[in-house]
Amino acid sequence: MFEWRAVLSAAPQAIAQEVTVETQGTRLAAARAALRAVESRLGADGKAEGLALALDEGLAPVLPRGLLRGQVIAVEGSTSLLLALVARASKEGAWVAMVGMPHVGMLAAVRRGIDLERLALIPYPGVQAPATLGACLDGMDIVMVGQAMVLSDTDRRRLAARARERGCVIVVTGSWTGAHTQLAVEKSRWRGLGAGEGRLRERDVTVAICGRSVGSARRVVVILDADDARVRSGGIVRRESVGDRALGTGGA
Amino acid sequence: MSAPLRGAAVATVRRVVLWVPDWPVVAAMTQAGLGAHTPAAVLHGKAILAVSAAARAAGVRRGMRKRLAQQACPELEILPHDEGRDTREFEAVAAAAERVVAGVEVSRPGLLMIPSEGAARFHGSEEGLAEALVTRVAEDAGCESAVGIADGLLAAVMAARANVLIERGQSHDFLAPLPVGTLVHATMERGQRTEVEGLVSVLARLGLTTLGDFTALPTADVVARFGHVGAWARRMARGEDVAPPVLRRAEGDIGVEYVFEDPAQRVEQLALVAAHVAERLDAALLAAASRCSRVRIGARTVTGDELVRVWRTDVGARSGAFSKHMADRVRWQLEGWLSGTAAGPQPAPLTALMLTAEDVVPLGSEQAFLWGGTSGADARAHRALERVQGLLGPQGVLAVTEQGGRTPRDRVHSLAWGQEGVPPRQVSHPWPGRIPDPAPATVLAVPLEVHVLDAGGSPVRVDRRLAVSAPPTWVRLQADPRDKVARAAHRHPSSGHVGGDDGPVWKPPLPVEAWAGPWPIVERWWSGQASRRAFLQLAMRGEDGQTEVALLVALHEGRWMLEAVYD
Repeated sequence: MFEWRAVLSAAPQAIAQEVTVETQGTRLAAARAALRAVESRLGADGKAEGLALALDEGLAPVLPRGLLRGQVIAVEGSTSLLLALVARASKEGAWVAMVGMPHVGMLAAVRRGIDLERLALIPYPGVQAPATLGACLDGMDIVMVGQAMVLSDTDRRRLAARARERGCVIVVTGSWTGAHTQLAVEKSRWRGLGAGEGRLRERDVTVAICGRSVGSARRVVVILDADDARVRSGGIVRRESVGDRALGTGGA
Repeated sequence: MSAPLRGAAVATVRRVVLWVPDWPVVAAMTQAGLGAHTPAAVLHGKAILAVSAAARAAGVRRGMRKRLAQQACPELEILPHDEGRDTREFEAVAAAAERVVAGVEVSRPGLLMIPSEGAARFHGSEEGLAEALVTRVAEDAGCESAVGIADGLLAAVMAARANVLIERGQSHDFLAPLPVGTLVHATMERGQRTEVEGLVSVLARLGLTTLGDFTALPTADVVARFGHVGAWARRMARGEDVAPPVLRRAEGDIGVEYVFEDPAQRVEQLALVAAHVAERLDAALLAAASRCSRVRIGARTVTGDELVRVWRTDVGARSGAFSKHMADRVRWQLEGWLSGTAAGPQPAPLTALMLTAEDVVPLGSEQAFLWGGTSGADARAHRALERVQGLLGPQGVLAVTEQGGRTPRDRVHSLAWGQEGVPPRQVSHPWPGRIPDPAPATVLAVPLEVHVLDAGGSPVRVDRRLAVSAPPTWVRLQADPRDKVARAAHRHPSSGHVGGDDGPVWKPPLPVEAWAGPWPIVERWWSGQASRRAFLQLAMRGEDGQTEVALLVALHEGRWMLEAVYD
């Protein structure tokens, strides 16, 4: 009760200070900052619970509650988005297994910040897929699952339950019945390529987010592969893979 | 404060130096099978590095150009420089010296250092020790050497060069008349040598020509002007260095060998042997009160090939189950070799199996991470992956490292989980012409053929001068052969593939929005894996019209192959 009162008295004060500044953009930013402060004070952003793995700031609009342990997240249409989701967590100490993903570009994984020391690749689990995934769920923090897997719906349910119990995140390519969050790339646009010159540099991706715990589907634009000067000079191992320029959100 | 110390002698280690003159050339001549009377020299870069006695008599000097040296002595044998050979050959000299004294320090190939006190007492006198050393090296290693004994490193090295013994406390007087350039002889590494050479040239320009002049300077001034190099040089020149020789201890490897009575060929035969050998290694390690963090598995085949692989075992988590854990590794490795799935020579029956412990540490002093021990999560993850390896076989779980290369596929190196290996190509090399970042998120394990077509529908070609025949306008990708809709569309006459249900199923063409290239990559023309490819980046409007698909395609031997997708 006491906390609520404190919040209610603090928030209008913060906004009232910012009203004096004229421009629309700063007011919007200030309002968002105030809201975020309220969220974090109440623990509504999920970070306070200690149940979420670290997520890149640029992807916060996609998964506002973070990469929650015990959840299943399905990503359709972009392997880059898949890698970007787990990159920060891997960098901060999570173990990652990639099961049934023989075609994943490991160089892209490294560039996004995934630590290869704590990464195991199981490219062809074959008929042992359920047993392999079960073993991985026991030991790893994040299990990434590829598309061509011999899994029945019963297997999927059982694995999801096991993940919930073990506190492991399953990130799936394609669809997964009963996934907590379903991300689908609806639009993508590359920049940097011309008619015979240039190279691929930067891309906007519109991600549609729907799922059990997300109310109605919403769309978010994120910039993947943000181009920066350090990459052009070469030699840097990791870059800020997902630009922190989330352009905004809109209802569906 | 420092007054009482000024006159006090520094207690320094009395040491023996055994020096083999012109070691690089002696080693090279031994390997080339030349007699000592042949004039020979070792050439490094453009200049002569070392000269044999016969060549020196003919007028060849260190630092000469090759042509000048050949002019001075036309029958001169020029031998190549090889640091590895120098070190390897010197092992024989060190072993010979170790027969006389218990421990020696190999300071650099050609120079051995031995603490003198105990050894001299054992041999009666310092002269006796020197005589024993010279005789033993001449008999066992077959090369002439000189021995010097003095206090301090520089004095001992210079005594060896002059082949004299310096009495205790006389080092300073012995060194005083020598030129400052002799300081270089006390350096053991190249970097240090360059620093000291700089110092020597400054001293010479300041008019300090002898070590006596140099040591007469006050310590504080030397340190203020020349820093730590100056302080080091001063200590050396006064014979006051106190660092004792770092002795190497001759210690045998901990390892076990199993020789098969009949060459083993069947996997069942090997499973028992693997368990047996692993148990013996465990027992040997226990007897030596040690643990190891890596095990080298080696085998000899009937054809005489040696197969070697190194596997990692983590020390902390598995003290009890070591032999079981190792038996699995040995069995997997042997199965791989016998079935020929592992890359290597032709599979052949095995005659012997060797297991050697590497990175051996005393029991109880295993070093884990800098911050705390192996975390519970790490141990859990390792156990889980080992279980998966048990399910799928060792190659079922891969560990990946980045390596050098030009295409996204070449730049990744994968090994079975737990196996140790070095990527064959270094990341730090420049790799000009590699495909620029961003890296594609999907790299096809095996490239698939695609059709890259121009506006008229004929394939785009790239000529010798990297000119594109026409801008790429359409791209046709292969469809999944199980996709019935695509199959039906493919059979339809409008698809342009009349008749024949075999061959790949092609999707309808997609329009190219933008493209870049061609980037040529011509690699390894000298070897069997030669390849000549031209890469294109293509961005196309996808089938749904909303997403843009970016591809990396390569023209290889007249066909366009899909290498990677930027998805």
